[in-house]
Amino acid sequence: MLDMLSLLLIALPVGFLGALTGLGGASILVPLLVTLGVPVKEAIASGMVTIIATSSGAASSTVREGIANVKVAMYLELFTTVGAIVGATITTQIAPVYLYFFFAFFLMTSFLKFHGSKAKDPALSENQDSLSRWLELHGSYYDGFFQRNVEYRVTHALPGGLGMFIAGLAAGMLGIGAGAFKVTVQESILKLPPKVASTTSNFIIGMTALAGTSIYFASGLLNLTLMGPLAVGTTLGAVIGGRILNRLGNRTLRLLFFVIILFLIIQMLYKGVRSL
Amino acid sequence: MSDDRSERNLLKLEKAISYLLISGVVVSLILEVLGIALYYHTYGRLAFSESKTVLIQGTNYFTFFLNLFHTESTGGKGIYLMTLGIAILILTPYLRVVLSVVYFARDRNIKYVLITLFVLILLTLSLTIT
Repeated sequence: MLDMLSLLLIALPVGFLGALTGLGGASILVPLLVTLGVPVKEAIASGMVTIIATSSGAASSTVREGIANVKVAMYLELFTTVGAIVGATITTQIAPVYLYFFFAFFLMTSFLKFHGSKAKDPALSENQDSLSRWLELHGSYYDGFFQRNVEYRVTHALPGGLGMFIAGLAAGMLGIGAGAFKVTVQESILKLPPKVASTTSNFIIGMTALAGTSIYFASGLLNLTLMGPLAVGTTLGAVIGGRILNRLGNRTLRLLFFVIILFLIIQMLYKGVRSL
Repeated sequence: MSDDRSERNLLKLEKAISYLLISGVVVSLILEVLGIALYYHTYGRLAFSESKTVLIQGTNYFTFFLNLFHTESTGGKGIYLMTLGIAILILTPYLRVVLSVVYFARDRNIKYVLITLFVLILLTLSLTIT
């Protein structure tokens, strides 16, 4: 039988792995809770609240260090919050069986993250469209790896925003941060440097999660005996994970990532097929 | 020039957001830990429960938050602290938007006042109507 102490202890390595793989906590946590017998909608609603804690905890330092771009984040939140509200509303209305399949499908987009995020020196993009310029979407940060200040300009603000609507929709529906998807949109459409993309994405996740939570709030799906231990466990795990991240090799991380995602996809598909 | 002032204002906003986020998370997690400990003290167990007392339902966020300060909790002190912790956690990103609106207004950056105000109104409606 599940209890709060074991939930906390389960959440600890989940937050740890989430931070290490860049996958975030909830996309591992929600399928794991489902496997342990928690009703899928309650798992989703609790996942949503949990990531407010992990995202805010991590963003606190990246915002202060000037890596996450606050203006880019606030512009993109226009889209993710609307998406999350629509997504969460859908989840409260539909039959649980669809959620397993949506989840499995969305987990597959996590594999996107490993395209194009190589450690190449980010170049300043030449052509900024008029909307991105009008929105003052540019910035600079100090890159420890290249040991210099990196300047960047955002491009394609509108298609990028629409991509973020989809990310918000999936996040609200599935109770996750959809971080891998957000980072992909920010790197490949908006042309943000990888470090700015991942930290800005993390910053946005807190707000997207609040929008989703606002729908789950009155639905009777928020369970205190789930949310409390999960928030504490994943956040502590993520703090520890973030600290040892630089000491692990890329290959180990990549392998770990593939194994976890594959396992979770199979789990969700299995649950889905069984409840058909 | 005003560009310089905006730059400094943005740095201030970043600092303020950073402190707000970390305080919100630390306070709510401490309340959760205390709540779980007290729950154990009261009930002698920590079982995952589906009972009505541990489910938040039937009210909008703001009414719920205000009620926390003048109605007795039905589930004991442990549940009360856990509820308060979650309520503060949810309030943290909300206050982050309020803070941003104020900073951009002081900076007279109309574009970003409108952008952040839109998100603020949307969240307020969504937290109120349901």
